[in-house]
Amino acid sequence: MMSTRRICSVARMLVGIPQLGQTGLSACRNRMACRTIGSHLPTSSLHTTAVLTSIPSTITVTDEPDMLFPKISVLVKGHDRAVLDSYEFFATMAAKELGITLGKVFEPPKDIERLTLLKSIHIFKKHRVQYEMRTHYRMFELFNLTGCTAQVYFEYIQRNLPEGVAMEVTKTAMEKIPEHILEPMWKDQSADNKPRAQEQS
Amino acid sequence: MAAHAAKAFLLLGRINGNNLGSRKPLNMVTYATALSATSSTSNKAFPDRGNRGAFVRRPRREAGEPRTEKMAVDQDWTAVYPVAAAFRPGSVPLPLRMGYPVKGGVPPEKKGNLELIKVPNFLHLTPAAIRKHCEALKPFCTEWPSTLDTVEKCNKHFPVKVESTDYVSAGPSLRNPAARIVHLKVKLSCLNLDDHARKKMLKLVGDRYCKDTDILTIRTDSCPLRKQNYDYAMYLLTVLYHESWKIETWEAEKTLADMEEYSWEGSPSQKNLLDTLVRMRTAGEGEGEVAREELLGCPEVQAYRESVTRLKNEGDSESTMLQYRDAVKKVLNL
Repeated sequence: MMSTRRICSVARMLVGIPQLGQTGLSACRNRMACRTIGSHLPTSSLHTTAVLTSIPSTITVTDEPDMLFPKISVLVKGHDRAVLDSYEFFATMAAKELGITLGKVFEPPKDIERLTLLKSIHIFKKHRVQYEMRTHYRMFELFNLTGCTAQVYFEYIQRNLPEGVAMEVTKTAMEKIPEHILEPMWKDQSADNKPRAQEQS
Repeated sequence: MAAHAAKAFLLLGRINGNNLGSRKPLNMVTYATALSATSSTSNKAFPDRGNRGAFVRRPRREAGEPRTEKMAVDQDWTAVYPVAAAFRPGSVPLPLRMGYPVKGGVPPEKKGNLELIKVPNFLHLTPAAIRKHCEALKPFCTEWPSTLDTVEKCNKHFPVKVESTDYVSAGPSLRNPAARIVHLKVKLSCLNLDDHARKKMLKLVGDRYCKDTDILTIRTDSCPLRKQNYDYAMYLLTVLYHESWKIETWEAEKTLADMEEYSWEGSPSQKNLLDTLVRMRTAGEGEGEVAREELLGCPEVQAYRESVTRLKNEGDSESTMLQYRDAVKKVLNL
């Protein structure tokens, strides 16, 4: 059985150690942590916050079965090829560090959308102006990811997505055949099949 | 520099009207510079009002040397750029130049260069930073089960594949309606279906089945949420499965035209062949009726049956035609 890891709430710990709010903001790397920790020194509300580097992380392991993704493909789109190059370096390095098997990393051909518009607001049909929008792509294929790893990796990747870049993530999850499909429910009634079918149909 | 001046103006509060008249053109952008180099001379932009007395403009500090001069070579860069931030020429100790070169010159330097500020930078994601982040994230990841190392094992234990797409983009809304679409793929050979059930299932799904890969694909997009579409797809699969096992009374009226595959038994081809063979035998030997069952049992007749079935099911091709020709020759003793 695969188990999920949940980030346990440390709100109660933070209440007891108020000065960590400031040190947390400066020391923490993950923007997610900054936002949630910086926003409160709570008393009543229990948020799930990410843990500061100074406190040992309390990770809860539950028995809920993890999802399995044999293949995930990520398509990143942007207007600037150099930005996508840098992003590719970042994403591939992050995948290697987290131990995710990388498949193909390639560059689908760019799309150029062109418009031809009138240059002037009134008449002058012969004089036009042309614009184009170039969309560059980058595709990463990742294999054999668990649900937890996928969550962590994609949260990291997407938080650090640069301005003007979009992403599409196509996840293929694999599952067992549901229990109610293993045997047909008419099997017990196979003796008097036709009358039953008559009743039901 | 400009920030100081701006702050000073804000401090003056109510006297805004006067400010506008005497404000130096600090906001005028020269070529590729956001911060005018002349702003250092703006010290006396706002004339001191001796009569007002208490109101003195905040004394302006001189900007010291940039931080880059004091940076050690082996410093911790992740502390300089811990998060995504704009390019700060005083914090990045690199001799960068960017922009279209001035006539007969070089691209402008980094100090006050708007082009460098506009562009998204990855200074916060250096390899050292990535390693640090991943170290912190590692405890939250789980391992892929080691027993599922080949694709065949995965397919054997987990034959149902559910595909869905997530979209991330900047815009007025976070939502993308295409994210609700779910594709459910399953190989029919993995389901518990007998012959009749399989044929009925194929008739029920129609186009959604691919014969080459034996994969049934159910695409659901009628519900607004992905979870709902997933539940609906599972429901459809369940219903298809159970319905295909059901035998309705009207299924007994299945005609020859409804059959999916050609079967030789009871077809005109069989009748014709047997008639021909019987006539050949009676003409040759002059005896009585030879039993049809004996004829059916002959290997030549079996071979003929194979070739005809193959021809009808698979269509015309080199090998099927050759096989048919050989079978005919053997059966008719040519």
